[in-house]
Amino acid sequence: MQYMLIMRSDDAAVAEYKEIPFEQIIEAMGKYNESLMEAGVLLAGEGLSDASEGFVVDFTADPPLVTDGPYGETKELFNGFWILDVASKEEAAEWAKRCPLGPGAKLEVRRVTGPEDFPADNEWVQKEEGWREEQAAKQADRQAQAAGDAR
Amino acid sequence: MQFMLIMRDEDAAAVERRDAPFEQMLEAMGRYNAAMEEAGVLVDAQGLASPRESVVVDFSAEPPLVTDGPYGETKELFNGFWLIDVDSIDAAAGWAARAPLGPGTKLEIRRVHGEADLRR
Repeated sequence: MQYMLIMRSDDAAVAEYKEIPFEQIIEAMGKYNESLMEAGVLLAGEGLSDASEGFVVDFTADPPLVTDGPYGETKELFNGFWILDVASKEEAAEWAKRCPLGPGAKLEVRRVTGPEDFPADNEWVQKEEGWREEQAAKQADRQAQAAGDAR
Repeated sequence: MQFMLIMRDEDAAAVERRDAPFEQMLEAMGRYNAAMEEAGVLVDAQGLASPRESVVVDFSAEPPLVTDGPYGETKELFNGFWLIDVDSIDAAAGWAARAPLGPGTKLEIRRVHGEADLRR
């Protein structure tokens, strides 16, 4: 089962995080990521740049309305994620608890939908599966190439 | 540059999407995804299961507190994302505006950190 760990921080936590020495954050997160990799559960993870670089597209308007932000409109700012492949929700929660985050930060742990959530006979679902297989094959090629270059 | 399109739904929008015919939603999303795949900009995309299958870990407590949810604690629920690789934030906005989403739903577009951000 795949679970996504979604990092949500309130404004105070985001501000506090910026005061922590950058090296210290890289080391704490690096160690956490390394433990996930060593356990073989980490599938993906990305961090997001500051909200000041972002914008929001609101589909309540037609055509959709684009504004700078998000500023103040979310209770907690989404700042990054990890996707883990684990056996249960409990295991996902255990990994989440080990993350080096502090007061004002939360991790939302949500199951990632997979083929089992969709009708296998739907043409769009099949198309999507084909694309994912293609991507996985390309990724394997790149890794093989990188391993070859390293030698 | 990589950008993440983050889907945020108000409660009413999430309920409405569940009530819409599943096949119709699959086709609309499928067409949108196919357009991004054909343009070669789609890196990854995932949808998330209901909060009923989820937990929240709050780091304000020590040790961190695990509760069921999220229920009612977010203004808008995070329900999935697309990760795209495009040349500019304007191109990202162009793709975002084409998403088959409706009232009560927003896409938040944020640049994804790359290696350059770690060498500051």
